[in-house]
Amino acid sequence: MNNASITKQEIMAVYPKVAATMADALGCDVEQVKLEASLIDDLSAESIDFLDIVFRLERAFKVKIPRGKIVEEARGDLSEAEFDKGGIVTDAGLARLKAYLSEVPAERFMAPLKSADIPRLFTTETFCKMVLRQQRAVGVTAPAA
Amino acid sequence: MGEHFRAFSFVDRIHALQPGVRIRGSYAIPADIGEFSGSLVAEAVGQLAAWAAMAAVDFKSRPVAGLASSIELLAPVHPGQVLELSAELETVDAEAAAYGGAASVDGTPVIRLQHCVGPMLSIEEFDDPQLIRDRFALLQRAGAVPGAFGGLPSFPLEPANGEAGDCLRATLQVPTVAPFFADHFPRRAVFPGSLLMHSNLELAAALAARLPQPCSGGCWTLRGLSDVKLRAFTPPGERLEIEARSTHLSGNAATLTVETRKGKRVISGARVLLAPEELS
Repeated sequence: MNNASITKQEIMAVYPKVAATMADALGCDVEQVKLEASLIDDLSAESIDFLDIVFRLERAFKVKIPRGKIVEEARGDLSEAEFDKGGIVTDAGLARLKAYLSEVPAERFMAPLKSADIPRLFTTETFCKMVLRQQRAVGVTAPAA
Repeated sequence: MGEHFRAFSFVDRIHALQPGVRIRGSYAIPADIGEFSGSLVAEAVGQLAAWAAMAAVDFKSRPVAGLASSIELLAPVHPGQVLELSAELETVDAEAAAYGGAASVDGTPVIRLQHCVGPMLSIEEFDDPQLIRDRFALLQRAGAVPGAFGGLPSFPLEPANGEAGDCLRATLQVPTVAPFFADHFPRRAVFPGSLLMHSNLELAAALAARLPQPCSGGCWTLRGLSDVKLRAFTPPGERLEIEARSTHLSGNAATLTVETRKGKRVISGARVLLAPEELS
């Protein structure tokens, strides 16, 4: 499934529940969890918060969200070596990442991008799309908001 | 071997293991120690789950304390009792182990943990993998000789400024030297998250004692924690600030938040749930 098949309407259907879940995990007001908010830069999330959010989303939406799935899916048919060289995302990898994380403004993809810094790009919408992909993977056709 | 597998190890037998799925074990609380807190019972359940998680990944990585959605403190335990421990793994992979678990004494539940998540880190960073494998084999066969744990040194909270009616602050001086550091962990000494939780609960109990009485009279008791999150390791010798704050108070329930900071950095946070003490 590619990003083009996820509509804004679908994203907005799951967004309120994703935002509430993220606000619980981050201990912030739900109003702060804007769709375009960067988890790390805007919401001060740390690595443990990412785990917390993923597990809370799994329980809230009753889906399994495999960790590391975003990078794996973004890589597509590129090999690991084609995607990442010495911990830095290659040009080909960066192009794939930009296409996959289409919700992230282009200016935030700073080259060189360390693979370890990919989560810095994630926004609330990234998690909405993650939920939608997993819902589709298990055959949920209408987003359960 | 020194204090390794003695000073902070709370599983002395594994009775059943379904790899990656569930595990049962036990721990005999030494009779000659002063107390064994609910935080240590939670630690025992977490350690049992950790054995199952480590076995599931062939001892390449181990979970460390991270998140707990809910910890219900159902009954106190006493030295000399035997904890029956169980844990069910929700998932285990290279990044995290998720589990729930419980402990009982003579069939009576004393603690229940739900939706706990431990980030998985390289086992070599913390311990000798071969020693861990050998210990696992021992726990599955003959079991460890009970009674190794000699209790904990005291690390009292020091009152700090800034108290108000609904808020208490204290400083925790983490010891520089303590027997448990050699067990948790031999290659990277870390103040155990469960001991930090114990200090958090101590401050929460002090604040609870200041709250207006419940409708039924008597006093408030600690019933459990929710949304527990450990954000960072605490090395020996750190000085931490802990704050407990009342966030909800009604006649028959109260909620506190506790937060631990090292300077501006938040180290841990949790909600503490209070209920009226049951009068007999």
